[in-house]
Amino acid sequence: MKYNAPLALILSAMATCAWAQATGEKSVNTIAIAMFLAFVAVTLGITYWAARRTKTTSDFYAAGGGITGFQNGLAIAGDYMSAASFLGIAGLVYTSGFDGLIYAIGFLVGWPIVLLLIAEPLRNLGKYTFADVASFRLQQKPIRILAASGSLVTVTFYLIAQMVGAGKLIELLFGLPYEAAVIIVGVLMTLYVTFGGMLATTWVQLIKAILLLSGASLMAILVMAQFGFSFESLFSEAVKVHAKADAIMAPGTLVSDPISAISLGIALMFGTAGLPHILMRFFTVKDAVQARRSVFYATGFIGYFYILTFIIGFGAIILLLKNPDYFTDGALIGGANMAAIHLSHALGGDVLLGFISAVAFATILAVVSGLTLAGSSAISHDLYATLVLKGNRDEKKEIRASQIATVCLGVIAVLLGIVFEKQNVAFMVGLAFCVAASANFPILLLSMYWRKLTTRGAVIGGGLGLFTAVILVVLGPTVWVDAFGFTEAIFPYKYPAIFSVSIAFIGIWFFSITDKSAAAASEQAAFDAQFVRSQTGIGAAEASQH
Amino acid sequence: MQTETIRQLPEYAALTRARKKIMWPLSLAVIVAYFALILAIAFEPALLGTPIGNGVTSIGMVLGLGIILFCMVITGIYVYYANRVLEPLTQAIVKKAGGKV
Repeated sequence: MKYNAPLALILSAMATCAWAQATGEKSVNTIAIAMFLAFVAVTLGITYWAARRTKTTSDFYAAGGGITGFQNGLAIAGDYMSAASFLGIAGLVYTSGFDGLIYAIGFLVGWPIVLLLIAEPLRNLGKYTFADVASFRLQQKPIRILAASGSLVTVTFYLIAQMVGAGKLIELLFGLPYEAAVIIVGVLMTLYVTFGGMLATTWVQLIKAILLLSGASLMAILVMAQFGFSFESLFSEAVKVHAKADAIMAPGTLVSDPISAISLGIALMFGTAGLPHILMRFFTVKDAVQARRSVFYATGFIGYFYILTFIIGFGAIILLLKNPDYFTDGALIGGANMAAIHLSHALGGDVLLGFISAVAFATILAVVSGLTLAGSSAISHDLYATLVLKGNRDEKKEIRASQIATVCLGVIAVLLGIVFEKQNVAFMVGLAFCVAASANFPILLLSMYWRKLTTRGAVIGGGLGLFTAVILVVLGPTVWVDAFGFTEAIFPYKYPAIFSVSIAFIGIWFFSITDKSAAAASEQAAFDAQFVRSQTGIGAAEASQH
Repeated sequence: MQTETIRQLPEYAALTRARKKIMWPLSLAVIVAYFALILAIAFEPALLGTPIGNGVTSIGMVLGLGIILFCMVITGIYVYYANRVLEPLTQAIVKKAGGKV
């Protein structure tokens, strides 16, 4: 099993699924589709409203800086809680109990780090993207190219995984052809982002987060109510009915050797602090105080959500294993990742099933929209504005470039979604976290806190981190053996983060301290002014006035 | 020029000191707690599977759910401290520096 196993399970399981027919297509379709159409209507209405308010680059990239800390915390949670983690973690808990919890923890522990080390300086130093911060005192051109590459690689891998997962899930839940499902997702996300920018994307995240949190809360409460709200009764009943019995209370085979375990830990913990679509959200709030508040709420919502997912997984063990209706040939219909979906039916019949299915779809749409906005911002703000427009800042041209980039990314995402339909794309979420931890995070962290960082160090070290992460994943068991079909992997570990993150930090350190150029000296001298601004917010980009 | 003026302020020294005092210990606490669990999963899985008392709830379950709550508590402690200690210092510096811009 690999650490991106939840997604692997979702994908492989869905591909061969006959679930829609088996549980009665008609009932699923009417309620789920009605709820889904309502979601689309509301979000398109918001996009129309947002489009009329989106005039400047600040509106487009950062919703004018007018989002409150609480709203942003909820939106961050919306960006982060994907359908893969909802269905995948619940599915993994259903299959092996404790192992599901390992993922849930890994996805949460990055958040205190984001709060303590990143959020406030990021808001104080940057304007729209994390490249603003990385290039604050370094040379604009090379740093922005590197940061934009790191962002685009992260976003692309994440997007492919989400698109393929989305296509499969929608195909399954709504009985649509795979291609049609992928195109619908691509068109909707492109509409939200192109016309509504960050304002529309934020509200899509907010609505989705509220829907997902209420749906999951309801399910968890219905489960816990059956066990007198006692975890001990829940666990003891699960141990009684599960084939693995009390083994579900202990670590299974998910992480075995220490290298992989530590590597997994590093990628999840520090990858979170390097995800471009998450970092971008900090520029939607007024100041560092609101940025801090955002992470506090986000951590609360995300942690709460994973606890709910965990309860849902245990609820599925107890309520599904006893009921042959959800099984065909001894296996859960649609695979383990359908555990949460089946459980919604077991708890609340067709109504809850329809609601949870629509929520799953809304979740996917919101996540891909956030990713697309981050990708198009990297293209327009970091590449186009710096390399093409250079000093001649032109807001209209930059927004236009961002909209064109969004449409292109939408088309590319749909095409990649279709191309990768039959592939196992599970490794891509892992790769996205690994690249974020190996390239984006070291550059960002050291640019904020390490005086001696120079352009040369950041470019060479960050480039090495990015390159090593990608190469080692390709040569490792997930791609070399599972995807390419070779018998033996050239690089033995599934998770390269321990190597690629170390290489990035060592590379940045070495090529910075040996940089004796005059440019390096002035970059190091500029640290004090940057640090004062990062600590106090004096000179930070303000919210635009409406 | 303004940078140097701000850096000379006693409030600025107090702010950076106060921030360091909370930032690194809390970060370290999260990192240590998480990697301790990860290493326990790699080296001592049986220990984590040991039930507590006469029930079925294992040590690992309690520690795992505990780390999730721990992360929330850490962010809460930091935000409380930042609002009580860091924010007044920041405001004082901003005021002496003559505003944000």
